[in-house]
Amino acid sequence: MNANFRFWLGAAGLGLALVAGLRLLGNDYGYFAGYFVLQYVVLAGAWNILGGYAGYVNFGAAGFMAAGAYSAIVVRQWLGWDLIPGIFAAAAVAGLLGLGTGYLTLRLKGVYFSIATLCLAVVLQTLVVNWDYVGGSRGAYIIHARDIPPFNSYSEMLFIVMLVLAIGTTGIGRAVEMSRLGRGLQAIRDNERAAEAVGVPTLRLKLVATTLCGALMGVAGAPLPYYSGYLNPEAAFSLAYAVNAIAMPLIGGAGTWAGPVIGAVLLASLQQAATVTISSALNLWIVGWMLVVFVAVAPRGILGWFRRRG
Amino acid sequence: MRNIGRRDFGRLALASAVAGAGVSAGVFPALAQGANPIRIGFSMSLSGGLAGNGRAALAAQQIWASDVNAKGGLLGRPVQLVFYDDQTNGGQVPGIYTKLLDVDKVDLVTSPYATAMIAPAMPVVMQRQMCFVTILGAGVNTTFKYDRHFNMNVVGDNMKETFAKGFLDIAGTLEPKPRSIAILAVDNDFAQRAAESARFLARQRNIRVVYDRSYPPSTVDFTPTMRAIQAARPDLIYIASYPPDSNGILRAASELRISAQMFGGGMVGPQLAAFQAQLGPILNNLVNWDIFSVEPTMNFPGVTEFLTKYREVAAKEQTDVLGNYIPPYAYAQMQVVEQAVKRVGKIDQAALAADMHSQVFDTIIGPVTFSASGEWAHERNLLVQFQGITDGDLERYKRPGAKVILYPPNLKSGTPRAPYGTPA
Repeated sequence: MNANFRFWLGAAGLGLALVAGLRLLGNDYGYFAGYFVLQYVVLAGAWNILGGYAGYVNFGAAGFMAAGAYSAIVVRQWLGWDLIPGIFAAAAVAGLLGLGTGYLTLRLKGVYFSIATLCLAVVLQTLVVNWDYVGGSRGAYIIHARDIPPFNSYSEMLFIVMLVLAIGTTGIGRAVEMSRLGRGLQAIRDNERAAEAVGVPTLRLKLVATTLCGALMGVAGAPLPYYSGYLNPEAAFSLAYAVNAIAMPLIGGAGTWAGPVIGAVLLASLQQAATVTISSALNLWIVGWMLVVFVAVAPRGILGWFRRRG
Repeated sequence: MRNIGRRDFGRLALASAVAGAGVSAGVFPALAQGANPIRIGFSMSLSGGLAGNGRAALAAQQIWASDVNAKGGLLGRPVQLVFYDDQTNGGQVPGIYTKLLDVDKVDLVTSPYATAMIAPAMPVVMQRQMCFVTILGAGVNTTFKYDRHFNMNVVGDNMKETFAKGFLDIAGTLEPKPRSIAILAVDNDFAQRAAESARFLARQRNIRVVYDRSYPPSTVDFTPTMRAIQAARPDLIYIASYPPDSNGILRAASELRISAQMFGGGMVGPQLAAFQAQLGPILNNLVNWDIFSVEPTMNFPGVTEFLTKYREVAAKEQTDVLGNYIPPYAYAQMQVVEQAVKRVGKIDQAALAADMHSQVFDTIIGPVTFSASGEWAHERNLLVQFQGITDGDLERYKRPGAKVILYPPNLKSGTPRAPYGTPA
């Protein structure tokens, strides 16, 4: 049995076990909490492709995610299509946005690239705020059916969709890591000039990475308006998405396919637990402290820490 | 930096303590007072951008719970509030309401503060067919059309035709008659609706709109905008803004010595004690939308007692020290729930909704009836004018005369003074 088959079999088994476990639990809150965690698995996995492998830090995760969310809204309002076509549209729009950003900004390096991605989010937010078709500053509403056969409930359907997206994103991240693309991106991260000197097609690889990263971030955002039933620009472009998209891979172990999954599950679960037990005011406080602790104790994240000890 | 850190930490600790207290009572029912309490669940913004109003609303709701429990509870059962901090993040709200309804199994739900937090709760509440009394939402049910939704907000069903009516009615009484208006609004739901109303009604009355612009919520410098308005020389200046912008706009107007026959409109911020303390005489003669004032015409039964209790806890809870804005409405929101439950005699969501549709509620903000859509059947947008303000002393706002009601006529407590600012 080869490694790829084992990965997909394991991921499918874990996914089925999660669905079965939540069905046994028998309340919708499990699906909502699961959705919350899984959306960050997708977002962190997407960030990792450009930030983790290529070393280009993208501060505009919220912008790409919102582009996906608003693409899903446009597809619904314009064509009356539902969530699944919305996800494909989100991937296409955010992917193209990623490609365009790549062309425009990849001459920028380091902190200048990061600032440019941050600016992109601001530009997109201004555009959305002034675009009445998607609700503008008033926000957009998505009214959905109460039941979606064959699923037990609407929240179960959303959870399963996000579970499939999370498995898919993790699989794509793993495939990138094991491919020539991943090795090329890692060469760029270590020394871009040296990589170019030895024949790595740096511009092409970076464009592939920005497109893939953008598309997956858009995919993470597409179900958001269906999840909350209402989306306004403040919620779609929330700083929490940008912060978590960076913090989660760094804590789990950036530059590895499993790192973002570990970081997202750990941090998002902690945040969700804090929301309903102590106080969600602790959410960003937890993220901040964990970042400080991991930068000091395990700068290569949880995976890096274990590998060093091993 | 250290000071900022400490302050933030202090706020965080307080929010944690407040939320923790509520949640612990929810998570550990043994801590709840008495047996088998009626549990009312909601999310509230205790941190983030809306925390100022969210915490003030929570303090009022806790006073209500304490008052009801002191009188023997509801249907002979103690009342228990189960609440979580939504962090002013709409993305948290669906999860919180699912937890409240599916895990905590609360008997009743009420809403968080304002549209952006209410709307994400609606699908969850509708799916479980719960009766939902919300506070200060703006047109949420226009889309959802949920027959068990009731909104405690003075704007009523038809914001476009009523919201700016008071402002323009008052302007119509001035001499010489105003002939032009400048409209400035922040890019958000409430402000855009307010500006739409001003635009619509001004055209109806043949008042020329000489300036009509919006600005993004992140704007910090209003000097260029106010200079542009000044250059248009309008007779009336109508602003629809949110707290941080309201402060900047009023300060810019003061620095530029802007004057107009009437200045104000739908600014959110001047209703709050922190603004009144900071801005002092800059507020003088401002004519602004409001929902409550301690004028004799609004001295409804119970409101004075409530404000006395609220002001005792406000300093301790670090919320708005006067409580002249959201708190009476948050208390009244819970009174609506209380009176419906008492009349119905049991927790039956359909019967509660039917009761709310058909009955009049006697609350500390006056009698309330709901329309078919769940909004107030009769709008009651107040237009108040700050009069005789010489400094930032807040004591004057505890007495009549500082925030005089000019509109509606049945609550009027004074006459308009013009102009705003010093004429050039």
